Amino acid sequence: MATIDVAVNPRFRRRVRTSGTRRRLPTSSRVAGGIVALLLLAALFAPLLTSQSPTVGVLGDRLQGPGAAGHLLGTDGQGRDILARLLYGARPSLLTGMIPVAVAGLLGTAFGLIAGLGKPLLHSVVMRFLDVFYAFPAVLLAIAIAAALGSGSSNAIIALSVILVPPVARVAEAETGRLRNADFMEAARASGSSWFSLAYRQVLPNIAPAVVVYCTALIGLSIVYSAGLSYLGLGIAPPAAEWGLMISDLQQYMFTTPALLIAPALAIVVASVSFNVLGDGLGSYLNVRSETV
Amino acid sequence: MISFLLRRVLASVPILIGVSIVVFITIKIIPGDPVASLLGPTSTPEARAALEERLGLDEPLPVQYVQWVWHLLQGDLGTSISKQTQVLGLVLDAFWNTLVLTAFAALLAFALGISLGAVAALRRGKVSAAISNGIALVSISLPQYSVGLLLIIYVATGTGLFPTAGMYSAIGGGGWGDLFSHLVLPGITAALVPAGIIARMFRTTVIDVMSMDFIDALRARGMSERRILLHAFHNTTPTLLTIAGLQLGYLLGGVVFVETVFSWPGIGLLVFQSIAQRDLPVIQAGVIVSALAFVLINLVVDALHATIDPRMRAHS
Repeated sequence: MATIDVAVNPRFRRRVRTSGTRRRLPTSSRVAGGIVALLLLAALFAPLLTSQSPTVGVLGDRLQGPGAAGHLLGTDGQGRDILARLLYGARPSLLTGMIPVAVAGLLGTAFGLIAGLGKPLLHSVVMRFLDVFYAFPAVLLAIAIAAALGSGSSNAIIALSVILVPPVARVAEAETGRLRNADFMEAARASGSSWFSLAYRQVLPNIAPAVVVYCTALIGLSIVYSAGLSYLGLGIAPPAAEWGLMISDLQQYMFTTPALLIAPALAIVVASVSFNVLGDGLGSYLNVRSETV
Repeated sequence: MISFLLRRVLASVPILIGVSIVVFITIKIIPGDPVASLLGPTSTPEARAALEERLGLDEPLPVQYVQWVWHLLQGDLGTSISKQTQVLGLVLDAFWNTLVLTAFAALLAFALGISLGAVAALRRGKVSAAISNGIALVSISLPQYSVGLLLIIYVATGTGLFPTAGMYSAIGGGGWGDLFSHLVLPGITAALVPAGIIARMFRTTVIDVMSMDFIDALRARGMSERRILLHAFHNTTPTLLTIAGLQLGYLLGGVVFVETVFSWPGIGLLVFQSIAQRDLPVIQAGVIVSALAFVLINLVVDALHATIDPRMRAHS
């Protein structure tokens, strides 16, 4: 197909594409998207799905195996229903996974745009600043920040946001760099667009798919890390229900009633795999070059 | 080559300075007044001022930073609050154990990752490639603490073949065989995520290389597919090196969870134990040593890269 108007932002060109079949999201990603939706619904409607309390247990019923009467997934050391804790626990587990990605998505995109569109000096200052964070093993840095701030879910969110900004910024910067000298950018500059309008109206819509795909995949990682911080004792405080906390709590009964551990351990796996498969499928659907975290 | 190395070493100086600033900030963001918490609530203002002066906390932040770096350069990473010993010794002992686990996990990760990636790239469109891709994607998403605990429950206690904790057996252990049996489960747990990442990157690289013109040229000359593959794999080595550097760094940091689950006496377990005791100097030292190791690994990778690929030397 011959391109007639090379100075048109591809964002506008996409609408007039007529040929070809509609691309479909791969089946695996649809399933994963469905699971993600179910998890979010379970978190939202936890009180409707179980009548039991996630924080107060019956001591006489402690450490019952899965399948016990009234406790589908068993009870923990304090006699609390594991299913109830799993459902209520989805709230902090998913939120502390998703909020850092949202924060990092916004900040990282801003850094990427500033570096990608800025003068060479600004570009290298921002990128060298971000390079520093790549010298740290990410998990350890998050642990150090969370430990310094003190345990608690908001501090865990801050720590995770800090380590997720640099990778998002790199993706945004790389995508911006590919557009920097495009003809439509020249056209916009020639017509006197301000820096902000250039970034917001011309670049952002074009880099958004790549950033969104990357962030979707990051949610899986972020859920694993945030539950991991709770597992280490740096996240939400007991007796709250949270998946990582449940694992560290049930670990002491690993050799006596190991079956109890499986539910929270698998919950994190399912959430993380689902977000990754969804992100992967979105990547091929939106035709974004996928980079691994 | 020597000038290339010198430039690379010089280029990592700003990174190291940045690393030290970030760690210094994590010390300074600790909420509360350190002097008050050391002396207790009943201390007099005079005593607090005296301790503040002795610790150098009355100086402006940049001066405090320089003093802190000066101590750091002399190997003084502070004193552990819970163990009352020099942090450096604690961390270095633990670091060696972490390196043993990391090296073993890296070997596993590369073997598994390269096999999966090669299958996914060379059998494109076939079921085996789809399965490889699926395995890689799932293994990237696996939380190490879940996997570790499930392995302990089902493999270690299920079969009784592997120990569930530690590095050596307390009784009658100590040999290579003993170390190896302790390494298997934590090694597998630590290797899964990097294996998935290596598989995905290697797949992309192989597909890129196989679509290059020189492959067609070799084919046109009637070279067998097996020998063409050899040429193709030779061209993937620079990428493999880069991946190796990144994944070793990932492993060094990521073993926190593995070491905690399997009680492996490395940096990760040390950091975990320090969290509960709020022994922050140990946590910071663990982060500094891991970051140093990471920068060093990247230097070595760059040097190897330049030996293999002359373009690297000319380029930078």
